[in-house]
Amino acid sequence: MKILIADDSRVMRQIVTRTLRQAGFGDHDLVEAADGKQALDMTTAENPDLVISDWNMPELTGIEVLRKLRAAGNDVKFGFVTSECTPEMMQQAESSGSAFFIVKPFTADRFDEVFSPILG
Amino acid sequence: MSVDVVVNENDLAEMVEQVWVSYLDPQGVSPLIPNYDADQPTEVHSSVSITGSWTGHVVYASSTVAARRAAAAFLAMEADEVSPEDLSDVLGELANIVGGNVKAMLPSGAMLSLPQVVLAPQTATKYPNAERVTGLYGVWDGEPVSVSMWQSRNDVKKEESA
Repeated sequence: MKILIADDSRVMRQIVTRTLRQAGFGDHDLVEAADGKQALDMTTAENPDLVISDWNMPELTGIEVLRKLRAAGNDVKFGFVTSECTPEMMQQAESSGSAFFIVKPFTADRFDEVFSPILG
Repeated sequence: MSVDVVVNENDLAEMVEQVWVSYLDPQGVSPLIPNYDADQPTEVHSSVSITGSWTGHVVYASSTVAARRAAAAFLAMEADEVSPEDLSDVLGELANIVGGNVKAMLPSGAMLSLPQVVLAPQTATKYPNAERVTGLYGVWDGEPVSVSMWQSRNDVKKEESA
């Protein structure tokens, strides 16, 4: 499976990658996007099976990326890994078709819990 | 509309503990130990601004040694391999994580900025019209680390006259 990690923080992309490995998902094909626009373009061009996205990013926010994808008929599995987690954000994410919401800081156990049903 | 600060030192301690458990001290052998010393010297700091239902700044500050150690832990490398870019990125991420967690405790309508990093003591940055409302001060393996919240004075005045 191909997984796109979208986060403007290089450190956080690295940590998400490492945590995926620690949770046993290191064998998947991991690609990275450094802002929202890149996330949208790469999701369209590379057709990943899963998008793990930050919320607050330059160019386009994560929720804008998700809405644009859904508006274009793209139903890729998409969810958020973010330090911000308010009930409004979770509601927006869910109503836009988000599959999960992971709050930073996170552990490998949390990744396992969320991604096992998705990645098998 | 503005609100009184709803995040206290204990809340900050809980957030910081999560960061330590998740990234900086997963083995639980070197936690951040509070020393309540708001005047301890720092050498680097990072911050995020929050506007809306609460207006102010969340600031992470530490010694350079502690920042280097944090970067090494975040990036799974040795402390002497940490580049200035690594240091800045990790400091920014620390402010972002704590700031995001603070925002989650505020009433709806708060917006979080992207992080700012300054490789100079926290005293080098003045937050105009802002005053410290709470802070967590401690040492990590003997090195100073702090997280503090600075609320806009306009915000504070609004509360006093409310």
